[in-house]
Amino acid sequence: MKELIRQYIDQGISRRKLMTGLSAVGLSTVAAKSIAQSLAPVAGVVPTSPPAGAMREMKGTGGALFVQQLKAAGVEYIFFNPSTGDAPIYDALVDEPAIHLVKGVQEGAVVAMADGYARASGKTAVVVVPNIGLPNAMTQMVNTFKDRIPLLVVVAAFGQDQLGRDGPQDYEHQEVMVQPITKWYWQANSAAGIPETTRRALKFAATAPAGPVFLAIPDNLLRMEATATIMDQALFDVPMRLRPDAKDVEAVARLLIEAKNPMMSIGDEVTLAHGEAEALELAELLGLPVAGQAEFGTWSKPFPTRSPLYLGTVLATMRFPGQIDVHLNLGNQYGEKAAPGKKLISIRRDPTSLARVTPVDMGIVADPKLAAADLVAAVKSIATKERLKQIADDRGGRVRTYTKGMWDLRGKIAQDLSDGAPIRMERLGVELEKGLEKDTLYVADVDSGKTLEPFMGFGGADKTYIGTGPNVLGWGMAGGFGAKLAHPDKPVVAVVGDGSFLFSGPAPLWSIARYKAPITVMVLNNQSYNNERNRIWTFGGGAQFKTGRDMTCYNGSPDVDFTKTAAAYGVEGETVKEPGQIQAALARAKAANVDGRPYFLEFHIQRDGVGAASEWHPPLSIASLRTRKV
Amino acid sequence: MRRFILIGAAAALVLVAAPLAAQPVVQLPEGEGRDVVATACSQCHALTAITQLRQGEQAWRYQVYDMVLRGAQIAPSEIDGTVKYLAASFGPGVPFPGPPAAPVTLPDGAGKELVEGGCALCHGLDRVVAAKRSKGEWNGIVKRMVFFGAPLAPDQATTIAAYLDSKFGAD
Repeated sequence: MKELIRQYIDQGISRRKLMTGLSAVGLSTVAAKSIAQSLAPVAGVVPTSPPAGAMREMKGTGGALFVQQLKAAGVEYIFFNPSTGDAPIYDALVDEPAIHLVKGVQEGAVVAMADGYARASGKTAVVVVPNIGLPNAMTQMVNTFKDRIPLLVVVAAFGQDQLGRDGPQDYEHQEVMVQPITKWYWQANSAAGIPETTRRALKFAATAPAGPVFLAIPDNLLRMEATATIMDQALFDVPMRLRPDAKDVEAVARLLIEAKNPMMSIGDEVTLAHGEAEALELAELLGLPVAGQAEFGTWSKPFPTRSPLYLGTVLATMRFPGQIDVHLNLGNQYGEKAAPGKKLISIRRDPTSLARVTPVDMGIVADPKLAAADLVAAVKSIATKERLKQIADDRGGRVRTYTKGMWDLRGKIAQDLSDGAPIRMERLGVELEKGLEKDTLYVADVDSGKTLEPFMGFGGADKTYIGTGPNVLGWGMAGGFGAKLAHPDKPVVAVVGDGSFLFSGPAPLWSIARYKAPITVMVLNNQSYNNERNRIWTFGGGAQFKTGRDMTCYNGSPDVDFTKTAAAYGVEGETVKEPGQIQAALARAKAANVDGRPYFLEFHIQRDGVGAASEWHPPLSIASLRTRKV
Repeated sequence: MRRFILIGAAAALVLVAAPLAAQPVVQLPEGEGRDVVATACSQCHALTAITQLRQGEQAWRYQVYDMVLRGAQIAPSEIDGTVKYLAASFGPGVPFPGPPAAPVTLPDGAGKELVEGGCALCHGLDRVVAAKRSKGEWNGIVKRMVFFGAPLAPDQATTIAAYLDSKFGAD
C-alpha cells in the first residue's frame, strides 16, 4: 500500500489505479476513496476545484490521448497532410465524430487554410503535417506569427530510438528550426505527458498576444499505450482582457476632450479583441479622424472605411488633419508615429510591440475593446452631452469635408481609368463594390490589387476584409477556404494575384473541390509581380531601370491559363477580359456559390507603372543547351 | 538663379524603405506643387523615385492617382497643380539625373531619326538597344511610351515600332 501511495504522490499512477490497488489489498471502497481524497492535495493532481466532468482519465495510444485532449479543448477540425508516423492520430479519429479532418495536399496550403479559419473564427486552429514537410508549412507560418493568429502545428517526429542516426528523412532538432516564427516550441517526451503538453501548447497559442506554437511528437510515443488525464482546456485559459487603469483612462479622456487637433489610429488588435463597435463609438463621440489599416502591415479593417471619419493610411506626417496635438493609437502595430509637439498615447495588447521603435508618451497595455469602452464612459462622465456634441460637430465637420472630397476624387479616378482591356484594377474595384454582397468575407492576397480596395467598403455593416500583414504570398485561396469553413453562411471571395496563385500552386483548389466549398476564387492576372517591379525600378533606380531589362518580375511566357487549371480540379469558371463582362461573370459566380459549388474567375488585368510594357526576361533555353536531341 | 528645396526623404513604408540615413538628398526645382510633392510623396518613398522618371502630364496624372489610392494625402484641389509641376519638372526633354548615357550608334533605317529624337527625350538610347524583343512587345512599348509623353504622331509611332522590330527583334 505504501508503494501505491508513493506512486500516486509522484504522479506515476492515476487516482483510479490507486483506488483499484487499495481495493486489491483489502480496503473497502469507502476507505480507499477516503485515502485517495486525503492524498489529492498532496499529489497536486487537482490544484483547483474543476467543475464536474472537466477531467477524466483515459488509457490509449499517444495519438488517442492527443485527439481526446483536442476534443476537450473544443477543437472541431484538424487541418492535415498525412505521414506514416502520425497514423495513430488518424486511427483515433476513425470513431470520433466530434473532430473532422480537413486535408490539404501541400503543407503551406494546410497552414494557410488553418490560418484563414483562425482569423475568421477567432478560434485556435490545429495543423498536423509530416515532419519532412515542415519547411513547406513554415512559409505560411510567417503570416500567422507576424499577425498574432492562434495556431498549433504538430508533426510526428522520428521515434526516440531513431533520432540522430542520420536516417533518410531524419534531420535533428527540427523543433529549433521554427524558433523565430513561433511563440513556443517543444518535443513531447512521454506518451502519458502528451495531453499535458498539448494543453500547454494550446494555452500558449491562444493567450494574447496569440501566435503559432509547434509541437513535435515522436512517432513511438504516438503508438505507445499510456494512461493520462484529459482536462477541459477552459481550465487553462488565461484571460488577457485587461482593463486599463482607471486613472490612465481618465487622463486620456481629458486629453482627447481638450485636444485642439487629435487623431486616432486603429489596427488589427481591435479586430482580434472584437472592439470594432467600441472604437467607432469613441471616434464618433469625439469627432476623431481615424487612420490606419494600411497598405502594408495590417491584415484587417476594423474601422468602417466608408465612415466619414476614416482618413486612410496612417503616415508619419498627416497632411490632413495637419499638426496633431494628441494621437491615440488603438491596437495598431505600425500606428505609433511620434512627432514634436504631439502627445502620443498607445494602447496595445502586445507589450513586446508597444513602444518597440518609437518613443511613446503614454503606453498602456490593455484590451482595445475594453479600453475603448472605458474611454467612452470616461468621456461621457467628464463632459456634458452638449459639449461633446459641439466638439464632435466642430472636429467631425472638418473631417467630413476632407473625406467626402477624397471619395469624390476616387470617383473621378474611377471614371478616368475605367475603360480598356486588359481590365484596370480601379475598374475592377468599382465593379466588385457593385457586385459583392455587403456581408461578404473578402479574403485578399494580392500585392498589386491594393489599388482596387479604396473603391470598396469594408468594416462595420459592410464587407469584412481578411488579408495578411506580411503579404507572404500563396495564402489567399487556402485562406479563403478556411474563412468559409468558419462562416459557411457568409459569401466568401478569395482574391489573389497571379503571383499568389503561382506561389501556392493549385493545391488549395484540391481542398476547395474535395470539401465542396462554395467560394469564388478570383485571380487577378497581370502576368507580373507588378508592384515588386515598380518598387525595384523606381525605388532603386538601378541597372534594370536604366536598361529597361526586367530581370525578375515578368510572369508571362508561359502565359498560364489559370481557368483551365481550375477546370482540372473540377472547379467551374471563366476568364474575364473586358470590363463590360465583369458583372455577368460575378452573377454566374454567385449563382454557383448559392448552388453549393465553388467558382473560379480569372481577370486579365493591366500591368501598370514603370516597365509595365516589358515582356522581356533573361533568355535561357535548356533545349538549346543540348548537344544531342534527347 | 533657380532656388531648390532640399529634401532628405523620410521613407515611412516600413517594409520597403531604406533607413533614413541611407536615403539620398534630392533637390526639387521650384514651382507650384513642389511643397505637395516634398511632403506627401516623401512619406513613403525616396524622391529619386520621381526625379529619375520623365513623363508627360497624362502619365504623371495616373501616377498621382495611383499614389492617392495607395494612401498619399493629396487633396482634390492639389491634384492638377501637382501634376503640372511634375510634368514641367520631370517631363520629356528635361535632362535626366546622373552621368550621360553611353553613346549609341543606331543602325540605319526608316525610323532611326525618330528614335533618336523621340526616345532620347526621356532616356538613353542604350535602353533601346539593351534587349531584343518580339514584335508584339515593341508595339506595346512604343504605345506605352506615347502614353508616357513621347511626342509622336500615330504614323511615327508605327514607323518606330517597325524599325525597332526590324533592328532589335527577337528571333
